[in-house]
Amino acid sequence: PPSPPREIQNDNEAHSKWLDAHYDPVANVYTFSSCIGKFDSLPSSSHESVLLDLPAGVAAFLMEQHEPRTLAVAVASGPFIYVYKNLRPYFKFTLPLLDINPLEKEVWEQAKEDMIDPLTLKEILGRMDPFVNLHKLQSLKRQTVITCMGTLKKNMVDEDAVSCLVIGTESADILILDPEAFTILAKMALPSVPVFLDVMGQFDVEYRLTVACRNGAIYILRRDSKRPRYCVELSSLPVGLVRVHKSIVAACSDQTLQGYTQKGKKLWSVSLPATPTTLSLMDQKSRGFQAVLVGLANLEVHMYRDKNLVNIIRTQDVVNSICFGRYGREDSTLIMTTKGGGLIIKILKRTAVFDGGDTSPGPPIAQSIKLSVPKKTKLYVDQTLRERENAVGECKARTAGHRGCDCCTPSNLVSVGLFSPLTTAACSPAPQLPPSRYCRVPMLVPGLSYPIETYVECLSNKGISDLIKVFVLREGQSAPLLTAHINMPVSEGLIAA
Amino acid sequence: MGLFDKLAGWLGLKKKEVNVLCLGLDNSGKTTIINKLKPSNAQTQDIVPTIGFSIEKFKTSSLSFTVFDMSGQGRYRNLWEHYYKEGQAIIFVIDSSDKLRMVVAKEELDTLLNHPDIKHRRIPILFFANKMDLRDAVSSVKVSQLLSLENIKDKPWHICASDDLKGEGLQEGVDWLQDQIQAMKT
Ligand SMILES: Nc1nc2c(ncn2[C@@H]2O[C@H](COP(=O)(O)OP(=O)(O)OP(=O)(O)O)[C@@H](O)[C@H]2O)c(=O)[nH]1
Ligand SMILES: [Mg+2]
Repeated sequence: PPSPPREIQNDNEAHSKWLDAHYDPVANVYTFSSCIGKFDSLPSSSHESVLLDLPAGVAAFLMEQHEPRTLAVAVASGPFIYVYKNLRPYFKFTLPLLDINPLEKEVWEQAKEDMIDPLTLKEILGRMDPFVNLHKLQSLKRQTVITCMGTLKKNMVDEDAVSCLVIGTESADILILDPEAFTILAKMALPSVPVFLDVMGQFDVEYRLTVACRNGAIYILRRDSKRPRYCVELSSLPVGLVRVHKSIVAACSDQTLQGYTQKGKKLWSVSLPATPTTLSLMDQKSRGFQAVLVGLANLEVHMYRDKNLVNIIRTQDVVNSICFGRYGREDSTLIMTTKGGGLIIKILKRTAVFDGGDTSPGPPIAQSIKLSVPKKTKLYVDQTLRERENAVGECKARTAGHRGCDCCTPSNLVSVGLFSPLTTAACSPAPQLPPSRYCRVPMLVPGLSYPIETYVECLSNKGISDLIKVFVLREGQSAPLLTAHINMPVSEGLIAA
Repeated sequence: MGLFDKLAGWLGLKKKEVNVLCLGLDNSGKTTIINKLKPSNAQTQDIVPTIGFSIEKFKTSSLSFTVFDMSGQGRYRNLWEHYYKEGQAIIFVIDSSDKLRMVVAKEELDTLLNHPDIKHRRIPILFFANKMDLRDAVSSVKVSQLLSLENIKDKPWHICASDDLKGEGLQEGVDWLQDQIQAMKT
């Protein structure tokens, strides 16, 4: 990709938009973006509790309507959700067991009663007898684990409204839990294991879940849809997923950042200078500014506003989790953890503004800037008039003079694929290719366009449009590799004549 | 200062008026300090975060201070510069226990020092390294290092460790400020 403009590159020197508030390279924080979050109303005491397993996500939410309203923190780990209030363990939720294969259940039942010998059991199950003997007395169960977690407001939009937990599981399901009773309010099945989750809306009204899965696809589910509504097949595995306003942004392992509509239509794609490690939303509420922050393997964090790079932060180590928001008294704090367990805290300068560049959807603005094309000179106007009036003669003169090719009678230039500058003169209904009907073409490489020009002759003067067929053949073979039909317009030469 | 002025000062007939700007991040203790400097019967009991700014008055032995107690909240900090012209002295308050935001305090100080209305004036600046009573407060020496105060070459400045709650360090600071202002005027 082209290197970013100077003012973006220079950011880490004197004119950085960020203040370095804290850096601890050995903070021993090993985490992922889904596992860090900042919650305003937590008491600021340090607290550590040991989880049995790696956490899959944390979320802060309000569980009940009545006072006192303490913010609960949910930590998903393995098949459990640990809920903390005031940083003290409050409740533990265990995912319900999955259905067991009835056949397997039956044979194990029989094994328990010794009604079936391990060999037959093995035949049925395809397993070993020491295993059978070891486990035959244990009860049969199938447990899944949590892979990602988010929150969904129950029925109000307020900041402090009660929220449901939304969890994705290894069994490729999405579950929505009741905030108080922790019963399963809704269950949806996905074609693959969810890994990143974005939730929007309210449970009782309408909501939308955007889920990036391990198969490299993003699925979009709505209320009342048991199955995904829309699907985006990403070019490679997702590294992160966020929603900015109404569009979905995904960072992919093929070094791209891609934007999609809520219905899964691709909006844009930009290539990143290195492999992304994490993706996070930067939501500066006071300014109504939203952007995405992409951690990269080249020790940089890039900030994109849509497809435009607006800022680069250089870091001392590869960043693997990013969280932007209010921390303590500072609204615009950026907290990052690094691969080596380091902790970086930066504060956005009060005066910092990010020149969003162009924020319009569609092609870059540069494309619509009008070039200062010089005015048509009198010479040019005269020449075009002359050409129109005397097309045939002009063309002859020109082809002979400029092109130096074997001249052809009333002719035109056909260009397959590319705009040709010489299409001013006559054109032919019922055309026929000049004596040499073949053009030898060099080796063709996929993905490139080759302008190949030749002359065609107008054979009739009836003033009708006709067709030219183009075949691309391999030398010595008669079956064409490619055929194209070119609809020739009515000859301008004839119209003029 | 002439004898008559001094006499008038002692008698409390006429005190010189000075405008002082009280600046610093939110929660650093500006309002608390100014409240403590007022006569005890004029002090308020509950101090709330300042919205916008408020104008307070207090007197020392020879000066009558009008203090612009600015709000330190991010969204009001852009008000500060509108009062730079009127200010004849600056009190800059730092929460010495807020290590994370020391960079923010430095950034605001640097912006202040580089402002055209301040840059070329020999305006005295008094720093309060406040909240010294808190366990994780850093020393006033450390605060002046963190804010690179040694780089202020063309303005008289002074840093005092202070504890608003007990009122420690405040008098020392105000005495220094008073001396500076009087030296400036004569
Ligand atoms: N422990 C301690 N607390 C202090 C000290 N000085 C002020 N505080 C407390 O700090 C809090 C903020 O004090 P304020 O005076 O409102 O701070 P401010 O700088 O005026 O804040 P803004 O008006 O928002 O800019 C109050 O709760 C004070 O009681 C101090 O020296 N020590
Ligand atoms: Mg105040």
